[in-house]
Amino acid sequence: MRDLLPLKTMSVFFAVLALLCWAIAISLVVGALVRRARHGRPGRLEPLRDDIGRMALPLAWAIALVTTLGSLYYSKVWSFVPCELCWYQRIAIYPFAVILGIAAWRRDAGIRVYAIPVFAIGMVIAVYHTWIQAYPPSSGTSFCTVEAPCTTRYVWEFGFVSLPFMALSAMVAMTVLLLVARPAPRRSAIEE
Amino acid sequence: MSNKPSRQSSHSAKVRAASGSGRSNTLWIWIGLGVLVVAIALVAGFVGRSSDSGSNSGGSASASGGTVVPNGSLEYGSLDVTGTKLPDSPDPGATDTAIGQAIPTIAGQTFDESKITISPEGGKPQVILVVAHWCPHCQAEVPRIQDWLDTNGMPDDVKLTAIATANTDQRTNFPAGPWLRKEKWTVPTLLDDKNSDAGAALGVTGFPGFIVVGADGKVVYRTSGEITMAQWEQLLQAARTGTAPTGS
Repeated sequence: MRDLLPLKTMSVFFAVLALLCWAIAISLVVGALVRRARHGRPGRLEPLRDDIGRMALPLAWAIALVTTLGSLYYSKVWSFVPCELCWYQRIAIYPFAVILGIAAWRRDAGIRVYAIPVFAIGMVIAVYHTWIQAYPPSSGTSFCTVEAPCTTRYVWEFGFVSLPFMALSAMVAMTVLLLVARPAPRRSAIEE
Repeated sequence: MSNKPSRQSSHSAKVRAASGSGRSNTLWIWIGLGVLVVAIALVAGFVGRSSDSGSNSGGSASASGGTVVPNGSLEYGSLDVTGTKLPDSPDPGATDTAIGQAIPTIAGQTFDESKITISPEGGKPQVILVVAHWCPHCQAEVPRIQDWLDTNGMPDDVKLTAIATANTDQRTNFPAGPWLRKEKWTVPTLLDDKNSDAGAALGVTGFPGFIVVGADGKVVYRTSGEITMAQWEQLLQAARTGTAPTGS
């Protein structure tokens, strides 16, 4: 498996996907701000917004799935032991590899009410973890153990992309996608 | 989340049908995203391959004047220990009974299965570094020492040898070879066996471990844990003079 999926190749792949997550999230936030500045008047990109609204749930599910598989790749293929902070981030993401799949199938944008608070907690932890990997405190942290050090950079691409940064990117993108996800059409529209 | 399960299948179908307009646009966006991900995978494959054949390759010359530890897929070495095993390193502050004792001879392999031997013979002072791939202190110490070697060059009058010990696929950063190549590690390194017999033969109980051996092949000093480069220079000096660092 290690020969088939080399560490450097996979880390670069996941790092670029993390940057793509930021690109998606920032684009959607900027688009929403522009729309607000136009007081909701439809612009030329309105059809694209509708399309993205329709795609948001499956896209968020795809991100949760790839993040989960990537996390398992590092721990099962390369035996990287997850630290305590890694586990909290896993808890915030893993269930959504299934839950967002179901929501995407049902086109149930209401899942955001349940998912975003969990991602918010996960993002706070991921920001802290990203920070201490970038700037390891000399005194260590109470989350670090010799067996599973939380400041060791198992992945460090482009001079700043670490594993917690990847988790943060995924959660930011999923949160924004859930916010722009179009709800299912009203029942009256379905019955027509 | 408001739909009742019993009505779900027909409801989902109706929802999909009702919101199916614009499907061709979303299809094109999906195709675009798919192409983008494939392109990222291809670029990552190219970068990963060039990295493997470039900076991560073994056997190349380095700034230290040494040679980066060789390539090879060996995860555990095979070795033969002869002579008397050193007693386990004592707790800090306690007397080290290994001092004055000749080190055993350890005939083993490096990462490409070529032979490497640690021996009391040769008439040259030695410093033996013992590192474990999963140990964060070793992961911090190795690049520091390599930086020192790149700046100051490989010492002519002190033989440096490393042992990659405590190897296990149950712990992080396994196997040791790719990690040391990534660090451009130029100290000739013996790969310990599955039982960590080489580390045990030198009585190493903490990582990274340092064994200072005089020109007569006898232990001058042992220590473990991260050290500063000033302490590293003291270890080299201790090997040259056959006298333990002052204050130890």
